[in-house]
Amino acid sequence: MTEPGPYLRASGLSKRFDATQALEDVSLTLHQGEIHALLGENGAGKSTLIKIMTGIHAPDQGTILVRGEPANIRSPADAQRHGIAAIYQEPTIFPDLNVAENIFVGHRERGTVVRWRRMYREAESILATLGVHLDVRALASGLSVAAQQAVEIAKAISLDVKLLIMDEPTAALSAHEVSRLFDQVRHLTETGVAVLFISHRLEEVFEIADRVTVLRDGRLISSNPRDEVTPQGAIQDMVGREMADFFSRSEHQAGDPVLRVEELGREGIFSGVTFEVRRGEVLGLAGLVGAGRTDVALALFGIAPADQGSVDLGGRPLIPRSPGHAMRRGIAYLSEDRLQRGLSLPQSFTSNITLPTLRRYVSRLRLLDSAAERAVADRFRRRLNIRTPSLRTPVERLSGGNQQKTMLAKWLNTQPAVLILDEPTHGIDVGAKAEVHKIIDELARSGMAIILISSDLPEVLAMSDRVLVMREGRQVGVFVRSEATQEGIITAAMGAA
Amino acid sequence: MPEWARRWGWELLLAGILIGVLILNVSLSPFYLGVQNVINTFQLSIEKVIVAVIMAFVIVNGEIDLSVASVMAFSASVLAALHAAGAPFGLAVGAALLTGAIAGLFQGFFVARMGLPSLTVTLAGLIGFRGAARILVEDQSIGDFPEWFDRLGQDPLVGRLSFGLLLFLVGIVVAGIILHRTPFGRSLYVIGDNSEVARFSGINVARTKLIVMTSSGFVAGLAGVLFAARLGSVRGDLGQGFELDIITMVLLGGVSIFGGSGTMVGVGLSILIVLNIRNGLGLARFAITTQTGVIGVLLILSVLVPNLVSRFARRRHRGPGPAPPSGGRTTDQGGDLRGREHESQQATVE
Amino acid sequence: MSRIGPGSSERVGGSRRRRLGLQPERMRELSLLAIIVVAVLAFSLVFENALSGRFFNRVTTSVAITAVLAAGQTVVIITRNIDLSVGSIVGVTAYLTGEYLGDHPDAGLFLAIGVAVLIGGALGLVNGALVAYGRVPAIIVTLGTLAIYRTWLIEHANSQNITADTLPQWLDELPRASVLSFGEFDIRLTFAVAVLVVVVLQIALGRLRWGRWLYAVGSNPDAARQAGLPAQPLTLVAFVVSGALAGLAGFMFLERFGTITVFAGSGLELASVAAAVVGGVSVLGGSGTVFGAMLGAVLIALLDQSLLRTPQVSEFWRDAILGALILAGVAADFLVGKRLRRRWAESRRSLSLGATSERGAVTDA
Repeated sequence: MTEPGPYLRASGLSKRFDATQALEDVSLTLHQGEIHALLGENGAGKSTLIKIMTGIHAPDQGTILVRGEPANIRSPADAQRHGIAAIYQEPTIFPDLNVAENIFVGHRERGTVVRWRRMYREAESILATLGVHLDVRALASGLSVAAQQAVEIAKAISLDVKLLIMDEPTAALSAHEVSRLFDQVRHLTETGVAVLFISHRLEEVFEIADRVTVLRDGRLISSNPRDEVTPQGAIQDMVGREMADFFSRSEHQAGDPVLRVEELGREGIFSGVTFEVRRGEVLGLAGLVGAGRTDVALALFGIAPADQGSVDLGGRPLIPRSPGHAMRRGIAYLSEDRLQRGLSLPQSFTSNITLPTLRRYVSRLRLLDSAAERAVADRFRRRLNIRTPSLRTPVERLSGGNQQKTMLAKWLNTQPAVLILDEPTHGIDVGAKAEVHKIIDELARSGMAIILISSDLPEVLAMSDRVLVMREGRQVGVFVRSEATQEGIITAAMGAA
Repeated sequence: MPEWARRWGWELLLAGILIGVLILNVSLSPFYLGVQNVINTFQLSIEKVIVAVIMAFVIVNGEIDLSVASVMAFSASVLAALHAAGAPFGLAVGAALLTGAIAGLFQGFFVARMGLPSLTVTLAGLIGFRGAARILVEDQSIGDFPEWFDRLGQDPLVGRLSFGLLLFLVGIVVAGIILHRTPFGRSLYVIGDNSEVARFSGINVARTKLIVMTSSGFVAGLAGVLFAARLGSVRGDLGQGFELDIITMVLLGGVSIFGGSGTMVGVGLSILIVLNIRNGLGLARFAITTQTGVIGVLLILSVLVPNLVSRFARRRHRGPGPAPPSGGRTTDQGGDLRGREHESQQATVE
Repeated sequence: MSRIGPGSSERVGGSRRRRLGLQPERMRELSLLAIIVVAVLAFSLVFENALSGRFFNRVTTSVAITAVLAAGQTVVIITRNIDLSVGSIVGVTAYLTGEYLGDHPDAGLFLAIGVAVLIGGALGLVNGALVAYGRVPAIIVTLGTLAIYRTWLIEHANSQNITADTLPQWLDELPRASVLSFGEFDIRLTFAVAVLVVVVLQIALGRLRWGRWLYAVGSNPDAARQAGLPAQPLTLVAFVVSGALAGLAGFMFLERFGTITVFAGSGLELASVAAAVVGGVSVLGGSGTVFGAMLGAVLIALLDQSLLRTPQVSEFWRDAILGALILAGVAADFLVGKRLRRRWAESRRSLSLGATSERGAVTDA
């Protein structure tokens, strides 16, 4: 075991993206042989911090010392030179190369000729020290995420990494796999590696970390040895904000049920989901990432149809076959992935809004009536206060918040009976967020039934009439507004106190 | 940059090039701009330009069809073989048109339903349908079509316009309207840009692709029949190599090889440029084969130049300032051989 | 706690896939070999001398050129590109080398091959530079240079053919030179060279760091960038290799036919793609072997030669069968690989579905 000492010392790191101060004056010391957990809400600045350490972003202010020497980390290659490597929850492997090759592919010092037998031997011995049994000759394409994760760790070991950053490496692993991963991580620290560990599962953090640091809104809130932190305290540090900071819903009465979901399930993904949403009601869907919230939405929207249970929409049974079918029955789904699934970036503001409803804007001869299209787009522009230079501007030139509102306009224009919002305020600034909340409230008051999937707990609590909590593909509880607390929901979502 | 310049920049550039080419050609032959010469220019390449119009649909949709020239030959061969076997001529024509559509549907099935890359599927089509044509006509030249058919291919039908030219003129206008003014056309762009967005917006992506690939086959078959009428006979090597000109016309017209952008006006202009360059080279007594090489250069330049320009612009644009918040998109290609460059430049407007 | 969906418990080791996942390429090659054997036996029922030495010699002679081209094509396809210009490169190099030998009758074999390989490599360099550094898709670049190289040749040749009588005597005898003979079965020199090329490339791709990197770049370009692999130089090299081998094939073309017109080698680009795809080289990049491509070339040559001898079927069936073979090759590749890929995709599914960039969870609100 190497002598424990500070490996990396970051001081006064700040980073600003446009309107958002992503990181403000954050100082952090990572010691050799220590597992340092980083906690924080969505947007707390964890990603930015990691990206600065791995050379993807440059800080606006602040310095990083590696082993006491100032380090200028400008690229992933620089980071590698300083012994820093990162493992993300989605491993980056070469599916057509075998396990051993994946471990050693980046090594330039190993000569021009690949010595397969030596490589297999070394790969096996690295994996063996990790306690992982993998066929090093097997193609990586057949590996589970856990096995790929192990390969990534082995790669880091082979590169002689001194600081390993693990960004939610457990998100897609089973409990068994997680405990194996932890064994591997502990093994690393025994050899003097510093580990920065990011996870949203508190029980994991408390199981493995030596030190717990909490970020909130880009600032460092607390950083203490694990023994001095309680889960409750960590949660409080993370949540911090008072409910009063949020837009408060106006008082209103929910109407008749619009959507009834009964024992809905999809083999291997989620099961036993039962709920109803009424007119004018907002149903919050809370849970950890991968708990199946989005999968329920995709089933209702006909992207990945359910194979168990039943859905009843407006008194008629519904078996959504395709998004088009679900749309015609009055379901709209605002995807959480704005760039990949939400907007066609080179297309204009107007044509993005009218995309799902194009057939409404045809004149005689079945030609598009662009005046009618623009009229609709203009109406939404004013109603949702969307700032766009013109109706023809490609949406790629709008800001994130305005893109988000454009997406909202696109789905509102389908005049849905049930609107499913998946992380509708993710990655947008505070002002735009408040506007989206106001819009949601207005929609509910006008009688729309809304399902709100959000990882922003204060948001869920502020906006929802009821909150359904999912864990590991199952529904674990429904809280009515008056009974719902952040702590209660977190406890239900994580299945541990 | 003003909005109109951004929207129509490429088309303006093409118009400039076209004028330059025309001036050069007029300097070679003072009669160049005579009506008959213009018509002849089209008439000599009428099959290519007709197919170029549908190829624009295919490429906007994010796919490619390398098989068009072979499908032309295949359907013309069906016509010739049936005619030679003594079938009623109307039936032969109908069968030939149907052949093109079925060839397109066949390839479309592999592309749209099985998700195979169109590049490989239509490359197989390029070889296979040419082979099918050869099976039918072997190394013969089959002709002796009814007189009305030959006349249809060769003689003016209305005024000085032949049937093929009329078909093209009507076709490109209708195609432009479909592409730019109908829900179907709009969905082609969205699918070509990002098929996931299209799917999440309720568009039936597979069906749309199937329709486009089938139409491509049908139009290629139609062009094959026209070619047979114009030449008065069918050989196995009919139309060989046409895909080069056709794809050049589309890409030079500003249709992105990556799908999702381009206009029919641009394709129209680039058709005029390609035809007039070939014609001008002919006037300057360059052989047909030389002209082909020039088209090859044009093809590469039509993708290379915009690439270099945008890279240069980005470099100038970058300067100091924050990185875009949610910059590059990565799309899983699901396997075509064309590597895409994904850069979404986000200039924030607040 | 058992997490749902992907990556769940039993697949930690991925060992269930092992036998299949380990050697899909070997399986492909074995099944191709089986098909070739069956085809030979079937043809021997249709025409008499399918098992004779003469037929063997014919097939091996005609396979040499395609096999060399397919080997180069394989290197390019592995990097997720394609080279359609090889037919024209064969024509250009065959012609220019013939010209060179006409002017320098005392130039030796190796010098002649050197000239051909150098010219081919230079033309490949042009392709590679446009693809790697100009970022023009390979299909566009090589469709263009297919036309450009051919046009240049036609201009250059000025309707003169290269004829056998201008070529040195030793070149004339080369096609019949044998390395080894077993009765009437000859291993002709050209075939031996083709096999040598395939073996060398197979070893290089399998054992050289750069060879493995070629696979890596084609397998996952993003990961290659993250790992700091030199993706652009690798792409360039792939095209240079393909060009150089097309140059070698051009020389083989010259010595085999003696007479070179400006259209020499037309259509060979399609045959080379066909051989590679039929031989199990994935058009998605990252997988396939040169040896497989060679087997693909053998199968195609076998069909070619057999169709000429099968009275029931006209020789004109060749291209139709070739097209069907490519389609079957690609489709088989997809169907066989589909289950693996689906697993692969699904193991990532919940990630991408649940995910936002910061991967929020409840506590990560």
